[in-house]
Amino acid sequence: MTTLGPTLLPWLVALPLAGAALVPIVARRDARWAGGFTFAVALATTALASVLVAQLASQGPFSADLGGWAAPYGIELHFDRFAAWTMALAALFSFVIPFSWRYLDATLPRERWAPFYALMLLNLGGLLGFSVTGDLFNLFVTMEVVSLSSYALVAVAGRGVAAWAALKYLLLGAVSSLLVLFAVGLLFALTGSLNLADVSVRLAAAEPSGAALLALASLAVAFLVKAALFPLHVWLPDAHAIAPSPVSAVLSGLVVKVGIVGLLRVLQLAAGTGISLEPLNTVLMVLGATAIVMGAFLAIFQDDIKLMLAYSTISNIGYIVLGIGLASPFALIGAFVHVFNHALIKVTLFLAAGAIIHQTGYRTLSDLRGVARRMPQTAAAMAIGAVSIVGLPPTAGFVCKWYIALGAFEADQGGYGFALVFGALFIFVYYVRMLDAFFFRSPVRPEVADAVEAPWSMRAPVLVLAAACLVLGVLGGIPIGFVEPAVVDLLAALGR
Amino acid sequence: MTATAALLLVALLAPLAAALATLGWPEPTPPGRLVPSGLRWRRAAMLAAGAVTAVCTLALAALVQRGETHTLSLLQLTPHTWLTLRVDAAGALYAATAAVLWLLALVYAVGYLHGPRLGRVHAALMVCLAAAIGVAYAGNLLTFFVFYELLSVLTYVLVVHDETPAALAAGLKYIVYVLFGGSLVLAGVLLTFALAGDLSFTVGGVFAADASANALRVAFACFALGFGVKAALMPLHGWVADAHPAAPAPCSALLSGVLVAAGGFGLVRVCFEVFGVATLHSLGVMPWLGAAAAVTIVVAALLALQQDDLKRRLAYSTVSQMGYLTLALALLGPIATAGALVHLVHHAFLKGTLFFCAGSFAHATGRRGMGSLAGLAARTPVTAAAFTLATLGMIGVPPLSGFVSKWWLGVGMLESSAPATLALLLIGALLAAGYLLPVVFTLYFAKGVTRPPGVAPKPGVATRSFEVEHRPPLLVAITVAAALTLVLGMAASAAGFPLALARQAAATFFGGG
Repeated sequence: MTTLGPTLLPWLVALPLAGAALVPIVARRDARWAGGFTFAVALATTALASVLVAQLASQGPFSADLGGWAAPYGIELHFDRFAAWTMALAALFSFVIPFSWRYLDATLPRERWAPFYALMLLNLGGLLGFSVTGDLFNLFVTMEVVSLSSYALVAVAGRGVAAWAALKYLLLGAVSSLLVLFAVGLLFALTGSLNLADVSVRLAAAEPSGAALLALASLAVAFLVKAALFPLHVWLPDAHAIAPSPVSAVLSGLVVKVGIVGLLRVLQLAAGTGISLEPLNTVLMVLGATAIVMGAFLAIFQDDIKLMLAYSTISNIGYIVLGIGLASPFALIGAFVHVFNHALIKVTLFLAAGAIIHQTGYRTLSDLRGVARRMPQTAAAMAIGAVSIVGLPPTAGFVCKWYIALGAFEADQGGYGFALVFGALFIFVYYVRMLDAFFFRSPVRPEVADAVEAPWSMRAPVLVLAAACLVLGVLGGIPIGFVEPAVVDLLAALGR
Repeated sequence: MTATAALLLVALLAPLAAALATLGWPEPTPPGRLVPSGLRWRRAAMLAAGAVTAVCTLALAALVQRGETHTLSLLQLTPHTWLTLRVDAAGALYAATAAVLWLLALVYAVGYLHGPRLGRVHAALMVCLAAAIGVAYAGNLLTFFVFYELLSVLTYVLVVHDETPAALAAGLKYIVYVLFGGSLVLAGVLLTFALAGDLSFTVGGVFAADASANALRVAFACFALGFGVKAALMPLHGWVADAHPAAPAPCSALLSGVLVAAGGFGLVRVCFEVFGVATLHSLGVMPWLGAAAAVTIVVAALLALQQDDLKRRLAYSTVSQMGYLTLALALLGPIATAGALVHLVHHAFLKGTLFFCAGSFAHATGRRGMGSLAGLAARTPVTAAAFTLATLGMIGVPPLSGFVSKWWLGVGMLESSAPATLALLLIGALLAAGYLLPVVFTLYFAKGVTRPPGVAPKPGVATRSFEVEHRPPLLVAITVAAALTLVLGMAASAAGFPLALARQAAATFFGGG
């Protein structure tokens, strides 16, 4: 039993990647089979991830050496609590895939289904690989797998605007990737190693140098671009709004978290090297608080519901980055829990919005007035998601907001606590507009007045996710209890 | 599980169960059928749940008077805080008030609310009831905040029910005010946790003696401003005068009697069980609160004088009356506190009666201005009588319930050696007479301007008022609420009545056991 974790760990990454390769073969006879196959692969991956998490819970973190080459030289996969927590992100794929079955019917020609599902699985594989990789080079490779599949998924919708959005996304993404590659090269030159743990140890042994600082700073900036932290966010809104809704859900909920997980890896790397993190933390706090307010401010002017949701991602990344910058136990716990809770909420919102767009053909607030009358369940899910993302109790968003704000007061940065609480108020302004239009206005479009509820394959994922938003709000102790040891370890490593 | 715990859970869960039962929305009304069959069942479920909750809260109030208290931890919200319910005198008082007034409003709503979108407002009414019960029995600040925000946000559905442009505008104003207030309260809760590390309500306060006075003042300002928005403390009262007229009559009654009171109740909790009397004395913040309350009492009453719309007039009256509660709190004396709590209860039923009557008048005439009330008493005798009774109660005429609460407020003010505030109380009563008695006069003695001599009465108007007085649910709610103002006044000092509970609560807060 003891070796089960290390044995299974490589398969966690291999399974979705192999699935991606097999999708075109499965889809050769009938493109519709690709959807079912992808769902099966996503479920199997989730099941595998749960086994690994159970292993972690019973016997602590474990590593696997690929091909039997031992750690500093071979490729190491490492499964710690941070990685385990990101497994929950991957589980969200199992909701997105069934949702996209019927969604693709209306939005994509059949011949593009196989590439779509293959890219989804590639994205999943990259995400999982990124969370469990133990060395710097694979951190770069898996990040590129995630990024490239994301660019392609944005472009898959195929219209002119989508290509532009994808290009903008690609250009900024490429800058960030180059920065990571540059930093990886620099770190290798400095330490002669690529293994994360090993690099950290060797950096600590060496004199703190400008080059090491430069490498870590490049990594941090690159990951902040990936996370779309204001003002590095310019690629995000268009890409997320133009993509098909299941893709928006994945991009907004999960892919931006690559940047956050990367940032945490940078912190782990820097721990113990004697490099002061104070300047970085100050930058993170200021940018995080700015992002909260600016994301909300920009969202207020949007009429397109998907653009509104995209801008709210910017605010929420602001929460997480602010929490990391505050670097107090409560704030880090809140930030880390929000990595998943935001993903859950955002996937709920994008899928619900997708269902509404799919059923009515409209995507702006002014057209979608009164949609709740005909699609009460989907609209209720949307309302739960909206209330969660604003952070009203008792929902998943409140727990995180509570902890991050508490962390601000704990770190004697009360000003940021107030900024967060009132930034959230600002965010609510535009969600009130949305709920007001959906629930309390009369329909102006015949398609909305005569809309019917979404088919069950779309509605069920949305409803289950919305219920999860409530459950995680009421039982907030569970996720917090899970990430608390990881945060304690990180803080101990950082010497706090 | 003890009987207390069972009663608590039933009181909280019965309305939620009814809310689930009402989720049959949107109901397709078959053409030609006046009452859709599902609606009848749904109303039955609502009334049953309302009655169950009322009985449970009354039973809990009786248990509290026998000296029983109980704490029940339900769910772990975070590793540091539980969702905790607790029964104490003040909570039992507020819960029983909310539940009984809610039951009356539900009865009234059965006769009053018709037309589309009933499922939505019914579900919102039931969840709001559960949230109000949660506010009453919350055992720590976070639990209180959870239910308080739930109550605030869902009330939006009640305010905008009519979906007229005016209602939607009032709803927007309401939600912006209330969320701003909620954020302030959240900031206060966060500061409290950061300073004290504990959120449970504790008589005498949770803060250590060496806590920084300025940090405490900031926290208190957050709470006072945050709850002040809800309690309609001037100048944070802006939403009240728009939201009350916009909401349907039964919802206006609840807005005044339970929701605005929730702000006052929050202040009570925070003052006595988060900060504690001694801390508040040393911080020296209460005079500021008292000054705001004094301004509120007088200015709101003066504004009420100028309103033509009856419901707006009543809304400003609520602002003014809630000022008494805050003023009495600011005095930090046991008798004044008991007066404040009993005023919360008595005002709820008085204002409930007035709003029920106003709704019936508006229904009868189709309009809401003072002019439309002229001579209406002849056609709606019961409603007009109830309105008159409640008006006298508001002014504080003995032996009605309003007199009892004002008496205790006045005695408390003297006890706290603040005779100047007594003058405020009297001015407030005088102004209440000024803004409510003309309504009564119009009802009984003004010539019906809608019916000039020689012109035949409009057929619609006559039949409408006829219809109103023959709608049993409206009449039942109005008469019971009016009777309560009489009973609460006449038997005020009987055991088991609000006054006894209020005194018990005040004695606890001031450490007298």
